Formats: sequence, C-alpha cells, structure tokens
Amino acid sequence: MTTYILRRLLLAIPVLLGVSFLVFWSIRWVPGDPAIALAGELATPEFVAQVRQEMGLDQPVLVQYGRYLWRAVQGDMGRSVKSSLPVVQEITTRLPKTLTLAATSLLLSALIGIPIGIFSATRRNTWFDGGSMTFALIGVSMPIFWLGLMLMILFAVLIPKWFELPGPLLPPTGTGTWQHLVMPSIALAANSMAIQARMTRACMLEVLRQDYIRTARAKGQVERLVVYRHALRNALLPIVTIVGLQFGTLMGGAVLTETVFAWPGIGRLLVDAIGFRDYPVIQATVLVIALGFVLTNLVVDILYAYLDPRIRYN
Amino acid sequence: MKRSLYVLLSLLVLAGMVLAACGGPAATATEAPAQPEQPAEATKAPEPTAVPPTEAPPEPKTLTVASGTDIENMNIHLVTSSPSFSVLEHIYQPLFSMSEEGVLEPLLAESLNSAAEGVYEVKLRQGISFTDGTPFNAEAVKANLDWMLNADNKAPFRGTLLGKVTEVTVLDEYTVQIKTDGPFAPLPAHLSHGAVAMVSPKALEQGVDFLAENAVGTGPYVLKSWARDEAVTLERNPDYWGDAPKIDTVVFKVIKEDGARIVEIEAGTIDVAIRVPPAEIPRLQANPDIELVITPGLRTIYIFFNVTEEPFTDVRVRQAVNYAVDKDAIVSSLFSDAALVSSAPFAPPIFGYAAQQPYKRDIEKAKALLAEAGVAPGTKVSMYHPTGRYIQDALVADAVRASLKEIGLEVELKTLEWPQYVPTVRKTKADGNDVQFAMLGWGTPTMDADYALFALFHSTQHPPGFNGAFYSNPEVDALLDEGRSTLDAAKRQAAYKKAIEIIWQDAPWLFLYSEVQVTAIRKGVTGFIVHPDESLIAQFADKE
Repeated sequence: MTTYILRRLLLAIPVLLGVSFLVFWSIRWVPGDPAIALAGELATPEFVAQVRQEMGLDQPVLVQYGRYLWRAVQGDMGRSVKSSLPVVQEITTRLPKTLTLAATSLLLSALIGIPIGIFSATRRNTWFDGGSMTFALIGVSMPIFWLGLMLMILFAVLIPKWFELPGPLLPPTGTGTWQHLVMPSIALAANSMAIQARMTRACMLEVLRQDYIRTARAKGQVERLVVYRHALRNALLPIVTIVGLQFGTLMGGAVLTETVFAWPGIGRLLVDAIGFRDYPVIQATVLVIALGFVLTNLVVDILYAYLDPRIRYN
Repeated sequence: MKRSLYVLLSLLVLAGMVLAACGGPAATATEAPAQPEQPAEATKAPEPTAVPPTEAPPEPKTLTVASGTDIENMNIHLVTSSPSFSVLEHIYQPLFSMSEEGVLEPLLAESLNSAAEGVYEVKLRQGISFTDGTPFNAEAVKANLDWMLNADNKAPFRGTLLGKVTEVTVLDEYTVQIKTDGPFAPLPAHLSHGAVAMVSPKALEQGVDFLAENAVGTGPYVLKSWARDEAVTLERNPDYWGDAPKIDTVVFKVIKEDGARIVEIEAGTIDVAIRVPPAEIPRLQANPDIELVITPGLRTIYIFFNVTEEPFTDVRVRQAVNYAVDKDAIVSSLFSDAALVSSAPFAPPIFGYAAQQPYKRDIEKAKALLAEAGVAPGTKVSMYHPTGRYIQDALVADAVRASLKEIGLEVELKTLEWPQYVPTVRKTKADGNDVQFAMLGWGTPTMDADYALFALFHSTQHPPGFNGAFYSNPEVDALLDEGRSTLDAAKRQAAYKKAIEIIWQDAPWLFLYSEVQVTAIRKGVTGFIVHPDESLIAQFADKE
C-alpha cells in the first residue's frame, strides 16, 4: 500500500506540471495586460512598456514559464501584481479559511445527504421518499447566491425582529467563530447534500435489487443488517467517489459563497486575480486547487481498497 | 459499515486542520487579533489604563465601516483604488487637504507661495512627529516626493500628480522648495492627493516589502491589524498632533456583495455601508434606524466622439446626438435618480465648475441637425463601451443605442472587458485607432478643473493621452494653459468658465451624468464624512 501511495504521489507531479503549463499558457491568451493593470489607467505607453519589461512579460512564453518553474521549485511563487505581496503569503492566509468551509460543508452534506438517501431507498415510494427527493431537487436547483442572502436575512434581520432579540442570531458575514461558519456552510452544503441524497438512493436501489440481497433476506437475516452490512457497503463505492470529487469542487467552487458571506478564501482570491490579470496569483491558486483534487482523489482510491477488499493495488 | 464513511469524513476534516495549521504562522502575523466587531472581543480587550472602580471607564467606541473591496496594500504611494486611500488616509496625511466642499486647506503644510515662475515654497507645520518618533520636517517631505519621483519605485500617480515637478529642495528645517516645469497652479491641489501623503522617512528606507504591510504616518489613527480580504482595523493614535478623534477603533470591513452589506446594516452589525444599490434605496429610506446620505461624486460618465472621424467631424451631428439622448430618463430609470445629469464636463464639487444648459431631449431638432449635416437616415456607427466597470455601464450604452435609432443612426455596440478597454480607446492613429465614439468615466481626485479638463480637451493630450476625441481648439488650449499658470483663484475660475462654455457648444462629448454616492449610516453615528472623492472619513465621527 505504501508503494502504491508513493507511486500515486509521484504521478501527481506530471499532472501538476501539466496544469501549471496549461494555466500559464492559457492566461496569456486572455486579452488584457497585467502591465497596464499595474501601471495604472493613466500611465503613458512608455511606462507600461517599462513595467512589462520589468515583469518579464516581453519574453517568449516558454522562457517565462521556465523562469517561473525554476523559482517555484525554490518555493518562490512570485509576487501578486495587485498587492505586491508574496503569492505564497496571499494563499496561506486564505487557504485555511476555504478548507474549513469546504470540510464543514462536506461533513454537513454527507451526514444529512447519505442517511436521507438510504432511508428513501428503503422506504421507496412512501411519503418520506417523495418528500425528501422533492427537497433534494430544490436543493440541487437552488442558487447558492440567493439561498445565502435568504439565510442572512432570516437569521440576522427577521428572526431577531420577530423575537425581539438584542442582536442578530448569527453574524451575517465574516469569520472568526463557529457562528460565522453556520450560514456559509449550510448554503454551500445544500447543493452537494442534495446530490449525495439522490446518488445514495439510486445506488442503494440498484444494490437492493441484487440476488445476494434476496439470498440474505431469504436466509432470515435481520433487515437492518441486510441494508447496512450487505447493501450499503457495496453502494458506497460510487458515493465515496462523488463525495471525493465534491471536496475538490467545493474548494474551488466556494467562490459564490465566499462572496456573499465575505469569507476571505481562495475562491475569491482567484476571481479577483482574474479580473486584475494578476498572473502569479492565478497560476498559484489554480495549482493549489489542482493539488486539492489530486489529493482527494488519492484518498478516495485508498478508501476503495478499504471498502471493497477485492480491489487491491499492486 | 458506516464506519468507513466516518473514516473518510474524519480524514477530510483532519486534512483541513493540518493545512489550516500549516497556514497558521503566516496568517497570525497580520490577522490574529482582528475581530473587533464581536462584542465578546470588545469585553476581552484590556482597558488602556487603570481607572478607580467608583468611576466607570468610558466604553471604548468602535465604528465598523463596510466597503466593497480590500485595500491593495499599505503603501500609500503605490495604491490606486479609493478604498485603499480611504483606509490609509486615516494613518497618512498629505500636505494639504481638500474639504468635502472643495476648499483647499493646509494640513501638514502651513502655506504655499509662488517665489518665481515655476518655483513654489511650502512652509510646514512644526512640532509633528511620525508614530515611529521620526520628526516631520522638510527632509521628510523631500524624501517622500523624491521617492514618488524616482521612476524605479513605479508610483502609479507619479505622472498625473507630480509630472510637472522637476526638483525638490530643502530650504530650512520647515521650508521646502518645489520647482515645476513652467507655472503649475494646481500644485497644492495635487499635493492634497492621498498618493503624496507623508510616510515616515525611516519607514521609506526599509523598502517596499516593509511598506506593503506596515504603516507609519502622522495621522489620527494607527494600524492595528489587517486580515486580508476581511478587515483592516485602526486604533486611535494616542500622540496625534491635532484634536483627538472620539472613536477608539475603526474597522474597515470588506463585504463585496451589495446585498450582504445591506443585510449587515439592517441587522445593526455594521455602522456604515457604502454603495447602496439603486434598487435598495426605497427600502432603506423606510427604515427608521438607518439614514441614507447622498454625496455628489467626482466621476463624470461621458461618451466622446472622435471628431476626426465621419460622421462626427460635423458639430451639428455631435449636437444632434446630445439632443437625441434622454439623460433624465437614464438617470431616473437606471439609477433611481442616484446620479446627476451633467451640466458641465465635470461634477459640481470640483473647483472651476460652471453650469451650462443641458441639451434637453428634442428628437425633431436632432433630426433637423442631422439632415442639415447631410447624414442619411440608417447611417451606421459603432460605439465602444466597457461592461462592469461603471454602474449600469452596459445598460446606459444600450439606452444610447435605442435613442439614436429614433433619429436614424444605427449604432453597433462594441463591448469590451475593462482590461482590454482602455488600451483600445487610447490607441494612437498610427496604431490603428478605430474609435467612432466611446464611453468613459473620468474622476477628478484633486477636485480641480485642471485635472478635469486638461487631460481630456487640450490638444497636446491626443491618444495615447486621454483626449480620445482628438478635440483641438486653440482657444480652449489657451484658456486651459491660463488656468494652469496663475495661482489667482478668480482668474482661474473665469478661464475655466469660458473654456467650459466653448466645450459645451463644440460638443466633443455626449454629456451624460455624474455619479453620486449613496451611503447608509446607522442612526446614532454622527460626523461621519463621505467625501466626494469616495474617501470615507471616520476621524471626526462619534457614536452614541
């Protein structure tokens, strides 16, 4: 197993190299010039040219990429064009915030989504099944932006007004305490919760139709054991895959939630950087998100072996 | 069975925690203590001095201001955005200050006199120190101006504010001599801009890395903490040379989303919310706990005609377009009246403003002017406009297109994202400038007509300058030169009035509107200033 993990980690290197080159190369195709962004709208063309030269942007892309890589392996990801602070610092101040939000949301969505899926599958075509699947449909289609604002109005303005509280029930924006985490993680979890519930239900239904489940029931096995020991374990593989993928998506896709709740994470950093053509920040942020995907997929693959003993990696 | 699920989840949480811990040390450097809007935090904060128990110490006052964007960094010579200046001008002060009424007042300077043509002497206020103990004197002023003028430092405002400055000399401990390339009357107005505020020379010596994260000024507040993308917290400077501010802690909180700022102010978790979206104005007006403050802005939105390109070479065509577009309707329907129809090429708070009669919508007159100029109905023209840069910019462009259709001009809209936009409209003829007409906004942070007119209408400022209209009128040139050369306010005012009258008739622009700022402030907050230059000033504020 250790060899397998090591090999997978080594394989991540070409993936990250590929991602970094693609990003590096493609953002230079997007119109817009970071030299102008840095020099200011009012700058003279000579000044812009000077800035471009100082930033090394007048060199061929491959030369620029080579320099970038050389510095990156030494831990220097460059400086943000916008803030002139080291990119590494820009990311390390924000990454923990995004990870906290993503992990909490994932926990929340899995703890609620998966049980709902199981119950719906075992109580197929009952009112619970219909109700929870309708709920899930709403969850999938609800825009995070809107849900976020509604939660905010409810907990910070309406509830305190109805119950004449001295202050808001939950702080609407910002970070710092667990209360700050509640609304953003609900908003972010709604969508993945719904997907997990529907996915779990579908997988469970599939498995519950299998012959070995009938056999288990025929030999008089207790229904609870049939469902949780025999069915769920086999249904878990695709669910774990989805959950793993979602963690990666949550990391990069939390930008809407981060914007609504003024949550200072890397999603917002990335979007702001794109608007400013802040190449060093874009490159490093995408790389971090890619790394997040690679690592979660590795964790998922390791879990496969644990969940299904037939899967062995050599 | 379910165990495996929990294993997965705990792994994820664990990974999060490990990574969070990795980021920890770097993060704590700047952001650890920032959460002062939390009541819990307020009670935790140690009292500054021991007070006898019989006398209750005055409750420390915190004012929380929500803005839309974080500051770029702490180096006031390098930042460009108004949110940055808003925050940093509490720490750093310039030699002069422009009041919200457009009156220039000495701040760190005492006076400015013209000693000879292009030679100015600035007398400085005495007995002021930077918060690191360095005295504020002529050497400090020279160090700052030289830093700005040094091309290696890449100060973005070097050209616009100090482009005319050739030399800075220390005459004595509290007198600085500034030489300019020719007479330059707007100098004190330029020296009132935040970008030339005074930084401790000792801090300047420590280099850009230090300046990006530290702030050492002479102002009423000092930097307490900066949590990236989250908040900047300022604390009262106990040794401030002027009147001590009443608010102990000012928090500039970053809330990008308009709706979230509104919720916060309704919930009472912040005291000031900037940029109230037009649609929310009626709702907040109905809230008894909130006051809406409307401040005229300094940015004017206009559409310039390239007067060297058909059909806009003819003044009648330009006037026709001005008559065709209904500015009042744009302001009332797209801005809920939170904008001001232009009656000059710049906004009212700016020195030199002289109101003209706006071109009232008159379709018949517009059609007649077009016919006179020989422009056939159905003539195609193309118009550049940015999107997402100015409030409602794309909608305004479309409204203009619809209006011009009524007088027989077929407008093709060319929409560009901002990073591409400015280079496109500033192309020289040699580089293939293909602009027929294009939308742009111009802010005048110095609040002086020179800044508002010279760059846009003087014939020396054709692209790559900002006179994208390629407008050229010797009479206007002479008047703008005159306004620049005398310190006599009355003479300058007269020159600018005449220039504006000519420009208004020549119509090198479709004159549109000036932006206004709508700010929501909680009842009980007094003395908070929203400056026309978009600065938010908490120095004179108080809170019940």
